[in-house]
Amino acid sequence: MRASRLAADARFLIPGGPPFMTTGIGFGLGLRPEHYEEIADNPGGVDWFEAISENYMVPGGSPLRWLDRIRRDYPMVLHGVSLSIGSVDPLDARYLDDLAALVARVEPLWVSDHLCFTGLDGLNMHDLLPLPFTEEALAHVAGRVQRVQDRLRRRLVLENVSSYISYGSSQLSEWEFIAELARRADCEILLDINNVYVSAFNHGFDAKTFLRSLPASRVRQFHLAGHQHKDSHIVDTHDRPVAEQVWALYAEAVRQFPGVPTMIERDADIPPYTTLLAEVDIARRLAADAGRAVAA
Amino acid sequence: MSGAVAPASLAALQGAFRDYLLGRSNAFLAEVSESDRADRTTLLGVYHEGYALRLIEVLTADYPGLHATVGAESFDSLARAYIAAHPSRHPSVRWYGRGLADFLAATSPWNGSPTLGEMAQFEWLLGEAWDAPDCVPAVAKALIALPAEAWETLSFEVVPSLRCLTLGFEVPQAWGRRAEVGPAPLVVAPAPAPVPWVIWRPDLECFYRSLEADQAALLAALVAGLPFPELCESLVGFEGEGEAVARAAGLLRAWVEAGMIAGFHR
Repeated sequence: MRASRLAADARFLIPGGPPFMTTGIGFGLGLRPEHYEEIADNPGGVDWFEAISENYMVPGGSPLRWLDRIRRDYPMVLHGVSLSIGSVDPLDARYLDDLAALVARVEPLWVSDHLCFTGLDGLNMHDLLPLPFTEEALAHVAGRVQRVQDRLRRRLVLENVSSYISYGSSQLSEWEFIAELARRADCEILLDINNVYVSAFNHGFDAKTFLRSLPASRVRQFHLAGHQHKDSHIVDTHDRPVAEQVWALYAEAVRQFPGVPTMIERDADIPPYTTLLAEVDIARRLAADAGRAVAA
Repeated sequence: MSGAVAPASLAALQGAFRDYLLGRSNAFLAEVSESDRADRTTLLGVYHEGYALRLIEVLTADYPGLHATVGAESFDSLARAYIAAHPSRHPSVRWYGRGLADFLAATSPWNGSPTLGEMAQFEWLLGEAWDAPDCVPAVAKALIALPAEAWETLSFEVVPSLRCLTLGFEVPQAWGRRAEVGPAPLVVAPAPAPVPWVIWRPDLECFYRSLEADQAALLAALVAGLPFPELCESLVGFEGEGEAVARAAGLLRAWVEAGMIAGFHR
């Protein structure tokens, strides 16, 4: 899929792909094995789930059985961690084949991964390593995004990552890089509010400037998660509730990008399902407050 | 010629970052901007230490029996040695621990305790069975319904999750107690003689059981795709010639009923 093949309003319908809405699907949670049974037994707590793609890119067994079971009751999105869209390695054709097979199985609302690289020369660091914000990196990533979109026959949604270092060679701000990438590659943005907050603190930029600089029509989804403050810097850990300051930034984001689906990620120290449902309710309330403020 | 230094290419930056994480070179430090928050080594440490911690977490989840056998501290050393020797070559951490049993069997000091390599081998094969391709096992009724002449050429296919191994220590018995030992190490006793074991998953739950020598010989012949008459021959060294057919048929039926057999071919 190339930009020229998409009409201006094609964000609502991808030719050759399943129709999907950009807004209005509500509030989701990350699908985690600790909650499988409770989710299956108590449908309706959230509007949708986000599944980590790699956890289900396996031949068979329990993970896929649960995925199919829960998919019967909920819309899903697929969220990958290993696409390594920014790596100078060739795209991993086998990985893309496996992802395409999972996409066919799940029929997700959309497919996302991270704006980063995860390895080089076939060695995987299994981390979301930041890219330099250079023209070279922009051109490189834009070309790869288009190839992935061609393979998956749908737009890719890319997430801003938390970062702890910046490159001396960067020529653009992170928000300039993301906005231009979305335009050039015709991809969309998974705006992780916690990651904006973490990176803004670590690098000393204004988080609201980041939000204001993104094209609203490209923001497909929000992420929220917890972090650990190490005094000198903040580490994105996904092991605790969303911080107050991140909720405040989210309140700004929902005013600027109304109706964008939101989900909460927890990847360690997983609490009971009901605890996460209560966090989802906070997001619902903040989004509703923003909606009422706009209406007034 | 200008004195300006050309900025490093994307490939060079990624290579330097990777080498920093793997402890091969500190050259990447020069590419990182000064920060008001913390020194560059501290900030890069989030990535450097995160790399090892993430893989240790993966190995801990994949090898709970090994973790219980050596204890948390020794497991950490063992995992770090494996990580140093085995950079990950698969996009998914699901496959990262694949080489641990061989590493332990070949590397000092762990090769001095063969229980460790055996535990790792058993746990990895259990993991392979756990998410192996699904399959609806054959049912005994279909086997019984076959005409007598079909048995002349009948061969069998095992379920995709089935794994065989031979253990000199009572690893599966110890593995079953892994959650009960608390801080004390899990003790793995030697077996009186090496014992063949089979692991398989008929539906969602994994099973394992020990095999008698004749059962192991028959299963090896079956996995090799040999037809029923040759399966019977594999038992001749163990039973009297007249008893081999009945023993093979009995074992086959038991294995079908246990969900180990995916199907058969006439």
